Amino acid sequence: MSDEKDISAFERETKRVFDESVAGLDAATRSRLTQARYRALEERRPKRSRGWGFTLVPAGTLAATALLAWFIVVRSGPDVGLQQVTSVDDLEILLAEEDLEMLDEDLEFYGWLEEQPEFANADDGVG
Amino acid sequence: MELALSIAERGAGLDREGALDSGAEIEAFLREVEARAYRIAAMNIRDRDEALDIVQDAMIRLVRSYSHRPSEEWRPLFYRILKNRIRDEQRRRMVRSRVLSFFGGTASEEERDPIAEAPGASSDEPLERATSGDAMQALERALTELPARQREAFMLRNFEGLDVAQTAVAMGCTEGSVKTHYSRAVHRLREMLAEHGEEQRA
Repeated sequence: MSDEKDISAFERETKRVFDESVAGLDAATRSRLTQARYRALEERRPKRSRGWGFTLVPAGTLAATALLAWFIVVRSGPDVGLQQVTSVDDLEILLAEEDLEMLDEDLEFYGWLEEQPEFANADDGVG
Repeated sequence: MELALSIAERGAGLDREGALDSGAEIEAFLREVEARAYRIAAMNIRDRDEALDIVQDAMIRLVRSYSHRPSEEWRPLFYRILKNRIRDEQRRRMVRSRVLSFFGGTASEEERDPIAEAPGASSDEPLERATSGDAMQALERALTELPARQREAFMLRNFEGLDVAQTAVAMGCTEGSVKTHYSRAVHRLREMLAEHGEEQRA
């Protein structure tokens, strides 16, 4: 029992001595430790990797999707248009970023197609 | 659609809030442990700059690899990283010392710093000033006499206040081994410091 008490006292004393030595650290060392902490915390910051080009892709995709949806809804019959656009498979295809390039290239073609007389009445169930 | 966007925005907001909370929490944790970690590294390495580098490296590794873990795991993980870095440095020094002795020089000659050895010079060094108390110097000397595992167990349990389970994680051993190492360390240190006390009195 006495030995246990002595050990506890010894443990408390060594802890006190160590704590005092930590409290006695000089300002220069504390400053270096603060710098080290800031350096470590920088690891948490998100890495800047994407430029504006990547930021604009989703906006471009959304605009192209809206345009295509308008084409389909206006040019198709009311019974099939919304159904086609809102199906999961179609949305996946429409939202895929690789489709954006294709859409940009074909917009002129869709415009030209719209002006052709043989397609003027395309919503009669054939086109 | 609006509902989905609203949920997504709210989720993103919570993520940002969570990240901020977690950032403040890990900063508070590092601030709490940095000085103690430095003292432990300095006691093992006996080199102020090297000890600072080791602490910085341990903090970086913790933040980079484990900041997403629950905060209660940070302490044992941090001390495990610190312990491994101290061991790495000690091994590196040992190898350098052997290489130097193989080529005819001695490590002690190479590493001897005449300025540090000049009379009265040591008390001007920040590291030495921090440990200038007789009790701390005696404790440090006694700790260097212990086997590495006993020293680690003592520092983590006594100085850092880790419990047995946390110390086992930090040391990478079983809780039973921690108890054995710690118990032996305490008894050996008591003996050595008692001898030191008697020498001082004589």
